[in-house]
Amino acid sequence: MERWRRPGLARAVLGGVVGFAVGVLLLLGAGQLGAELKPGHLLALGYIGLVLGWLAGLGAFRFWLAWALGRPADRADEAAAHGRAGDWTRYFRFTTDHKVIGLQYLVTFIALFLLAGSLAMVMRLELAQPGQLFDRDTYNTIMSTHGTLMIFVALNAIVGGLGNYFVPLMIGARDMAFPRVNALSYWLVPPALLLILANPLLGGYDTGWTGYPPLSEQANLGEEAFLLAFITLGVSSIISAVNFLVTVSRLRTAGMSPMRLPIFVWSLAVTTAIVLIATSVVASALTMVLFDRLLGTAFFRPSQGGDPILYQHLFWFYSHPAVYVMAVPAFGAILEVVPVFARKPLFAYRLAVLSFLGIGLLSFMVWAHHMFVSGMAEFFHIPIMITTELISVPTGIVFFSAIGTIWLGRIRFATPMLWVFGFLWSFLIGGITGVYLADVPTDLALTDTYFVVAHFHYTIVGGMIFGLFAGIYYWFPKFTGRLMDERLGRLHFWWFTLAFNAAFLPMFWLGIQGMRRRVADYPAELGAVNLWVSIAAFMIGLSMLVFLYNAIRSWARGPVAAANPWRARTLEWQVSSPPPVENFEHPPVVESGPYEYGAPVSAPAIQPSPATGH
Amino acid sequence: MESNVSPRRHLGIAIAIWAVLSVVGIVAVAGMQALPIVASKEARVVNGAFVVLTVVSVPVLMFVVVAIAYSAIRFRAGGDDVEGPAIHGHGALEVGWVVVTLAMVLGLAAFGTIGLLEIRGDQRADLEVRASATQWAWAFDYPDLGVRSKELILPVGERIHVTIVSDDVVHSFSVPAFGIKQDAVPGRVTQLYVTPTATGTYGVQCAELCGLGHTKMVTGVTVMETAEFETWVTQQRQQP
Amino acid sequence: MFEHGASGAGGHAGELDPAVERQRVLLGVRLFILSEVMLFGSFFAAYFVLRAEAPAWPPVAGLARPELPLVGFNTLLLISSSFTMQWAVTRIGRGDVARFRRGLLATLVLGAVFLGIQAWEFAHNGFGIADGVFGSTFYALTGFHGAHVLGGLLLMAVVANRARLGLVSREHHTAVEGVSLYWHFVDVVWVTLFLTVYVL
Repeated sequence: MERWRRPGLARAVLGGVVGFAVGVLLLLGAGQLGAELKPGHLLALGYIGLVLGWLAGLGAFRFWLAWALGRPADRADEAAAHGRAGDWTRYFRFTTDHKVIGLQYLVTFIALFLLAGSLAMVMRLELAQPGQLFDRDTYNTIMSTHGTLMIFVALNAIVGGLGNYFVPLMIGARDMAFPRVNALSYWLVPPALLLILANPLLGGYDTGWTGYPPLSEQANLGEEAFLLAFITLGVSSIISAVNFLVTVSRLRTAGMSPMRLPIFVWSLAVTTAIVLIATSVVASALTMVLFDRLLGTAFFRPSQGGDPILYQHLFWFYSHPAVYVMAVPAFGAILEVVPVFARKPLFAYRLAVLSFLGIGLLSFMVWAHHMFVSGMAEFFHIPIMITTELISVPTGIVFFSAIGTIWLGRIRFATPMLWVFGFLWSFLIGGITGVYLADVPTDLALTDTYFVVAHFHYTIVGGMIFGLFAGIYYWFPKFTGRLMDERLGRLHFWWFTLAFNAAFLPMFWLGIQGMRRRVADYPAELGAVNLWVSIAAFMIGLSMLVFLYNAIRSWARGPVAAANPWRARTLEWQVSSPPPVENFEHPPVVESGPYEYGAPVSAPAIQPSPATGH
Repeated sequence: MESNVSPRRHLGIAIAIWAVLSVVGIVAVAGMQALPIVASKEARVVNGAFVVLTVVSVPVLMFVVVAIAYSAIRFRAGGDDVEGPAIHGHGALEVGWVVVTLAMVLGLAAFGTIGLLEIRGDQRADLEVRASATQWAWAFDYPDLGVRSKELILPVGERIHVTIVSDDVVHSFSVPAFGIKQDAVPGRVTQLYVTPTATGTYGVQCAELCGLGHTKMVTGVTVMETAEFETWVTQQRQQP
Repeated sequence: MFEHGASGAGGHAGELDPAVERQRVLLGVRLFILSEVMLFGSFFAAYFVLRAEAPAWPPVAGLARPELPLVGFNTLLLISSSFTMQWAVTRIGRGDVARFRRGLLATLVLGAVFLGIQAWEFAHNGFGIADGVFGSTFYALTGFHGAHVLGGLLLMAVVANRARLGLVSREHHTAVEGVSLYWHFVDVVWVTLFLTVYVL
């Protein structure tokens, strides 16, 4: 009985079930009074009840509720919510320590990545040969779910995982500005994932993650699951973005001027600024679809004055900046790792910071390049083509900075550095092929073909996933206190990279041959290449087992890591591995920039009482 | 590792390698036909754009590949703890990089604009065709000729104005051999112009996810000599 | 925007200097409001696009826009509530708790009356949310706005209760400032809504 009284997972599940029931019952009551009910209404209100009940059961609201009712703050409870070192149960509670939340995000989204990847392998099973294996409904739902889950991973893994863990440490802070809001943003994720993963049981949805109406207004109940899950994660992202921005602007330790911020922190500041501004727009678009489905509105119903292209504008106004939300943290992670393993300062740091700001700004001006053939107003084509071409300038600066750092450096090829080089190749391909899609004439031939699929996998996997792995291998000793196995790391890198390129490079050719996206079948003459792609895709999947084995085994039994095994100069490496619960015993004072390699400077921070390493 | 090689020499060698590889690459791709079939004026523009973009991409690709490969080989740490030189940046190089990349992308944008205007052309047309998309099939009619058809038949060498409509969800009218594509949006009429230049039969496919039948929403377009086309039109008119 | 604040320090207990805490919270409120601006912006964009694409407005015969006098009066009520709110904020800034509570109460009442009048208007304007793009855009905008007003009233009630318990003072009234920022935002959205949806 005790566990049901304490806030925690058990009570959260109970709360979720009760909340769902309350939501549904309230609606059924309304139905008795004459309202016309659809399954989507019940799902929507039940789900809202579920989320509120789940959070209440976790005790997420108890501090704010106490404040609202004028009760004195329970200091003991707040301290306990921060969590004690060594207590593994704190990962399964509403814990406010940013390091706990970071690992919650990281583990959750890596697990989701593996799940979504498995769905991709199912898709490739269908596509291995011409002809149809699954029924059309199944394939479309699997394809839509794969895309949706991967989008969620790409938006959250680095920002929520590595970002939450390391930003406070890197700026010399004790925690984020709003630790309870931080925990709230994480705990919104499980109900959203539950819903999206349950979508096949609700009839699936066949619209892809882009959810274009009118198709999305015809689709099954699974479409509501997609809409509600996406909106939930949107809310989670927005409050997380507020947290990051206040933290980076107000919680920097003494001496940490803006031009001494680690580049990873800058990348997350720009990223979360984009999230803050753009996310509400897609939430609105998805809400309009939900309203069209459930409340009889006509936003996208042409017969009643609605416009399907309006949806596309609103959707892409967010979704293009969203790809920079995926890529910019990866740029930050890559540029963070390069100086450490080249033993040389980050080249053109100021220009790199400016380029992030430029990317952030320009990212809002290019969305309609996803709509060149949509039937939108023609006058849009040329300005958008120009802005889209322009955004390659700041993106190119990332390469400039990375190459300038490794040039004349003293490179050590530890696993994180391998991922950096892999990124430089893969994102290069992604970036170059983007130009073919930015150029309207070639886009006419290539849009909605496998060329696009190859392009975005090269940019998102080549960018975000390579950046994620660079970051994980780099920071693993810090957040676990153990070293990963170098040989297994190298094996993972080469296996993944070769398989990834083998799978996605031929897709450019397939697109040029005219193979469309989101199809379960294709002309017979494309069979051989598709078979090759499918086999390579399975190899990608297998390579992840190497990573899993290495990560789990190292975490449990790997060699103990010192405070600073890479001899890096940023603040997180100046405390123990893992860091103490309060991060720094006393606020560090920063005396120099984070990339002062190759020159005789003092240590990056002076601590009145140095924290002890293991 | 190579302490007796000056930075200038490293740069010189790398640039030389880059230049050679770029020239070889450009020569290799310059004459290529990118699209498998080029059967319209528009496809020629698209194919030409493709080749130009690929030619421009070669030196860019080689730049990064040579830079990282050279660095990986020549700037490897030598088992000691020596750090690299404390170079934070290079003002002239930074400005130069921005200027050069800016010029390149603006050039590409200008090039793309010219190509797009060429494909759009003017409002003139020799023949009107209306493509109707529905879940999950195409239907075509020729309003001036009073003909309807499930297959698209076109005369070679004439400029066709295709208007595209849908009565349910968003579809997309795509003919890879013609290098053209345009969505079919319920509630509005979209359009494109195409001038077929080679007789033959080519694929027409729906290029926007439109539901369960999207994979199968394909048909064909046959381009005929003008005389043959007129015969076909007459035959179609005679049918009830 | 960049200041060299202490990194959340202030002793092991995590007690924060109220002035520092206040700055963080208010920055957070402003940023949140920025994302809400984008939310309303999207619905306004939808309204402008759909209206521009319609042959006439209202697009269907039989629909009519609500009468201006009542809504105009309602708008004045809401604008007044921003004044009472701001007055309340300045009062608590001087430590005058009694007048602050009066100002807050006045704001709350004005806001509640606004909602009441709006509910009456909705019941009598002759069209619903399912009446084509006219109904959709009208009720989506006013509905979301009304929800924000309701949220604001709840926040005010919470602050009023805390004031009643003696927890609001000249030194500690960050929540008041945060709520007032939010309330002014809600008012500005309404004025925009009124001018574009009702008047233009």
